[in-house]
Order: sequence, then structure tokens, then C-alpha cells
Amino acid sequence: MTTAPVPVETASAPLSRPRNLTRWLSTTDHKDIGMMYLALGALFFLIGGVEVLIMRLQLARPGNTLLEATTYNEFFTLHGTTMIFLAVMPMLLGFSNYLLPLQIGAKDMAFPRLNAFGFWLTAFGGIVLYLSLLEGPPDAGWFAYAPLSERPFSSSLGTDFWAAALLMMGMGTTLTALNIIITTARYRAVGMGLWKMPLFSWMVFVNSFIIAFALPSLSAALIMLEVDRALGGRFFQGGGSPVLWQHYFWLFGHPEVYIMVLPAWGIISEVIPVFSRKPIFGYEFVAGSTVAIAVLSFAVYAHHMFAVGFARPVNLAFAASTMLIAIPTGIKVTNWVATLWKGSIRMTVPMMYAIAFIVQFTFGGITGVSFAVLPIDWQLTDSYYVVAHFHYVLMGGTLFALLSGLHFYFPKMTGRMLSEGFGKPAFWMITLGFNGVFLVQHALGMMGMPRRVYTYPDLPGWGALNMFSTVSAFVLGLGLVLTLINIVISWRIGRVAGDNPWQAWTLEWATTSPPPKGNFVRLPPIKSSRPLWDLAHPEDPDHQRPTRHDQQGKGHIRLEEKDHEQ
Amino acid sequence: MSSKPSSIPLIPSVSQSLDVSALPLPPEHMDASPRSNGFWGMAVFLVTDTVIFLLLLVANIYLRRYSQGPAQGALDPGTTIWFSLGLWASSGALVLADSFRKQAKVSGLLYLLTAALGFVFLYGQAQEYLKLNAQGATVDADLFFTGFYTLTGLHGLHVAFGALALLVTGVLRFRGLLDGRREGFTAALGLYWHFVDAVWVVLFLLLYVWGGP
Repeated sequence: MTTAPVPVETASAPLSRPRNLTRWLSTTDHKDIGMMYLALGALFFLIGGVEVLIMRLQLARPGNTLLEATTYNEFFTLHGTTMIFLAVMPMLLGFSNYLLPLQIGAKDMAFPRLNAFGFWLTAFGGIVLYLSLLEGPPDAGWFAYAPLSERPFSSSLGTDFWAAALLMMGMGTTLTALNIIITTARYRAVGMGLWKMPLFSWMVFVNSFIIAFALPSLSAALIMLEVDRALGGRFFQGGGSPVLWQHYFWLFGHPEVYIMVLPAWGIISEVIPVFSRKPIFGYEFVAGSTVAIAVLSFAVYAHHMFAVGFARPVNLAFAASTMLIAIPTGIKVTNWVATLWKGSIRMTVPMMYAIAFIVQFTFGGITGVSFAVLPIDWQLTDSYYVVAHFHYVLMGGTLFALLSGLHFYFPKMTGRMLSEGFGKPAFWMITLGFNGVFLVQHALGMMGMPRRVYTYPDLPGWGALNMFSTVSAFVLGLGLVLTLINIVISWRIGRVAGDNPWQAWTLEWATTSPPPKGNFVRLPPIKSSRPLWDLAHPEDPDHQRPTRHDQQGKGHIRLEEKDHEQ
Repeated sequence: MSSKPSSIPLIPSVSQSLDVSALPLPPEHMDASPRSNGFWGMAVFLVTDTVIFLLLLVANIYLRRYSQGPAQGALDPGTTIWFSLGLWASSGALVLADSFRKQAKVSGLLYLLTAALGFVFLYGQAQEYLKLNAQGATVDADLFFTGFYTLTGLHGLHVAFGALALLVTGVLRFRGLLDGRREGFTAALGLYWHFVDAVWVVLFLLLYVWGGP
């Protein structure tokens, strides 16, 4: 297998590209698209964040009158939709787009123009969603339960805008997933077998299969909803079945949870070994459990519908599968903790976010298992306990992983380090703020406060806990603003990073920061999952070790790695 | 155990950074399959499309049990089969076109024929819709027809999109502008068109022929 010589590009290539609007509008480079996804996600994260701060203000005191009931419905609909489809998913796709070709040693994605198309579909979907403000925003919740979302109960055009936006974004995401699958299958550098791929690439690859099977379910549901709303169809009303909407929505909606969290796990699996200065513990298990999760994520969807009133065997089957999915998830958490064990830990900002992630995600996972227990679910469903649970998973899990990844990969993307002086206070504000907002909501839920209500009576404790939650929300918001300031300042005057500032061993660190167009001039030989380690330590390469466990009874760390100093 | 974070410099010294540029050039990437990217990309896309059609079909079959009256009786499979045959025949034309293309023979007219047969199908479907609507079999008339129009309409959209793409391909090939280029695109389009035809076999059988649960 011979190849044509690679045109040698200088390290200054990215700087010499035209820096104007046309470049960003017309780019097909996966790194540009990745960063555009990240910017889009950050913008909508800001919008969704402002929306939720207004909602928290309304909930700060019992009987508050800042927002009307209908306006509150519109706010939580927009907040949910924005955060899931326009903040978290674009940011994760941004990391996937940016990192996947770098990690597998490819020049670009398999379909660069399709990649750009996917981004613009997502961006236009966001515009369409917010254009609904002109017609009356959607007010049926991000879950849009029929018949609440049908014309008689949601008469403004908002829900139509919502459906159109979601169809566009769903298509964009599906095309990106397709691109990732083909890229991973066909563009891995020579020597990089599937079991040598970095864990982030592994999880993004598996994730793309979940997307390919889950998002069409949303598309089908949205098509049916629009046939009902626009053409007077009868899928979910007029003799049709409202529960059918729930089936199709959650057949997408539950895998969606894993769509959002798998790339986040990938980021964590990259960060923790680097700052523990050890190889990940049980690479095969971390990667393999991902496949189990992908399969199970579809098998558990009806646990969102325990209150619908299925037959008992159906409920029990879904309760069992929901508990089962905790096993592969637990394997991952165990492996991360085992990687930390006896590691030589560097407490950098990315590592701090990663550790906060483990704690919070575990907590959210445990409350998730509690919902698999039917009587608990019947008691707590549609209460603030649910709100607390999914924010612990999606925010305490995914967002913290995103922030970890942002601090970890910022030097690669921009060539400059993020300031630790800003980063550490921001971390503490975000962590304390986040836990302050949602920890008390578990209690509120158990005290009976229902979710999706715009106000509540002055029952004992409710006012104080809600006020605490609101104040914490503002601390959290301030921490995020501080992070944003950090990004802007560090991008301009941050410390110059160099190619590999963290001493990481995967392929993306073998090129310049930021990488040139075409990514690599030369690639090291790939014989293990950490090619750069093999290159730096020819006396002790990964692929010549019989096992990851140290043979001299010193635990499973390698002394030379622990002491690897600059 | 863990050393103090502040004591460790995070920027490696120059001597420690890895010198990748001294390495020999490796081969670029593994070539996993003789088929083009376009073909495999379309294959994955069609998997997602299959899920959409499948779920809509399941909804139709499920809701049909609650449909009142013999709604399906308004359909006329005898007429539908004629323009359906046009669509299925187009798959034959496409097989011929693809084999001509692979032998580097002139294939433009055959792609145009495929597109034309697709448009025949669309014309037939439009006529059928008009007739059904005149009989009162509209989207909101019956649970069966909600699903019927959604499924056949979505399929019709697929046909329209594919026929347009075939038209463009045919014209470009006819004028010799595509020869030897964009083989991946043409392969993907071929796969797409055969898929659309296959979906119509399933839809025809389940909507027009099968009496329902």
C-alpha cells in the first residue's frame, strides 16, 4: 500500500488562511466546523441560561407574579429545547468534529461538505426555533406530549416552529453521525485498529450508531405531529392514540440521554488518565461497556412512561432493563476511579471538572436507578426530584465534562492556555452553584413540589429551599460568565501552549496547536492506544507489556510514568 | 502519592517535546472496502430512513384497529399497480444504466429514462390523491387515511427528490460532464433509488393489498 507524498505544510498554515466572514461561511474543514459548533452551543447556552435565570427568579418566592402561567410554559419549553438541541448537542458535536479526525490520524471527515451542511442545518434550526417568538413561542414543553401539543390546546404557531426546527436539527445531527461512522470506519491511520482508538473516538463512534437509530424516531413523531396540526390528521387525537406520541418520543428521548452523555464520558476518559499520569484502567471495559449501553439505551425507554399505566409485566421488564443499564455505567465509573487510584495526580482545572463530574454523575446515576423502582417512580414522577435527577446527569455530568474538555483542548484549538487564575474560581463557583441549585430540589420533590408549575403555595420549607436554589443559580451563572471571560482573554493574551502542554499520549497531540489544514504532516507509528508514549519511551512501549498491571507488585502503575517529569 | 500541582510545570521543555517530523511518512489510512464512501454513507442514511418508515408503518397498522368503517375500500389497487409498475421498471432501467456506467459506455439516456419513470409514478400518485379527495377520503377523514397519506406522501417526497437527482445526473452524463467523476455520488443515488422502490413494494402490499389486523 503505497501513497503519494503528503504536501508538507508549515505550522503557520492556520494563520495564513483568510480571516473573514466568507471563510467561516464556506469552510469545510472539520476543525473550523467543530469550533463553529462550539460557538453555536455557547451562544445558545447563554440564551438558555438567561431563560432559566428568569424562571428561577419567578420561583424564588411562593406566589410570585413575575411571569404569568403561559409565559412560564413558554420559558420552560424554550429552555429545555434550547439546552438539549442547541447547547449540549452542538457542543458535543463540536468536540466530536474537532477531535475525531485528529485522534484517528485522518486529514478530515469523510464528507467535509456534508459536515458543513449538518452544521448549517443545526444553526438554521436554532434560528427557526427563535423565530417562533414572532408568532408566540411553543408552550407544550420540550417533550410536547400530545394532545397538549395539538392544535386545540396549543393554537399558536409556536409548536409548528418547534417541530420544524427539531426536524432540521435532527437531520443535521443524523448527517453528522453518518459522517462520523464512515470517517471512523474508513479513515483511521494505518495501524489504528478499533481497539487502539482513543476512548473519546470510541464513544463518539458508538454514539453515532445510537443517533442513527434514535433520531429517526423523533423525526417520525414530528412528522406525525405536523400531519395532525397542519392537515388535521388523527394520529394522536380524534380517535388516535396520545400514548403513541409518548412511545415514539421516548424511543428517541431516552437514547438521547446517552447521545448527550457518551461523548462526555469520552472526554472524561481522555482527561483522567492524562492528569493521573497512568493509562486508563481497563481500556477494553470502558470501550466495550459503551456498546452495552448503546443497546440497552433503547431497551429502557418506557421507564419514562411508568405512570401511563402499562400492564405489570411491561413495567417490570422496563424496570429490570433500567437497573441493568447501571452495570455498564458503573463499570465506567469504577474504571475512572481505578485510574485515579495511586495515580500521580495533577490538579489542573480540567482534572477538577473531571473529578466533580465523577461525583455528580454518580449521584445522578443513583437517583436514576431509584426511578427504576416502580413505587418510587409513581411517588416521585413529575416532581422536582425528577428535575434534580436529570440536571445532575445532564449538567453535573455532561456540562462538567464539556467544561473539562474545553479547558483540556483549548490549547490544542487556539494554541494558548486558559488562565488558571480565572479557571479555578470559576470552577468553584460553578460547582458550588450547581450543587446548590439542584441538591435541594431532591428535597423539594420529596416534599411534593410538582415540576412545570409557575408558582407554588407557601408551604413549610418550600420558600426557603427555592430561594436557596435561585441564589445558587446566579452563583452558577456568574461562574459561567467568568469562564467566558477567561476564554475571550486567554484566546488573545494567554500563555502560548506548544504542541503538547499536558503531556498526553494520544495522536491529536502529535500535531501543532492549532493543527494545520490537513492535520498532520507526519504520523508516528501506531502500535498501541498511546502512540506518543511509545515514541517517547522506546524502552518501554505499551504494546510490549504483557499486561497493564505492574509485574513487581507495585499496583498497576508504572513507576517511570508516575515520575515522568519535564 | 500525588505531588503538589503548583510544583509541576505544565509546559514541557523543548528537549522533551516529541519530534514527530523526523518520522518516515506512513501510508495514509486503511482502505477497508472497494466500495466508495458515497455508497456506504447512503447505506447508513437509508438505515435511518428505514427506521422512519417502519415507525410510521407501525403507527398505521396499530391505529387501523381503531379505524371506523371499511376505509381501505376507497383505495383502488388495480389502478395503483399500473403506475407502481412504472416505478419498479425504473429500477430495471437503473440497473442497466449502472452497468453501462461501469463499462464506461454512454449511460446518460438510461438515467433520464429512470427519472422519467419516477415522474410517471408521481403523476399517477397525484391523480390518485385527487380522486381519493374527491371521494371524501381526506387526511382528517379516518385513522387509516391519516397514516396512508403520511406514508405515501413521505414516499412520494423521496421519489420526487430521487427523480430530480436522476434527472440532473442524466443530463450531466448525457452532456459528458460527469464521466469518470462523482462515481461515489452516482453509486449512492443508485442505492437510494432501489431503496425507494423496495419501500414501495412494502407499502403497496401493506396498505393496498393486506386487509389489516
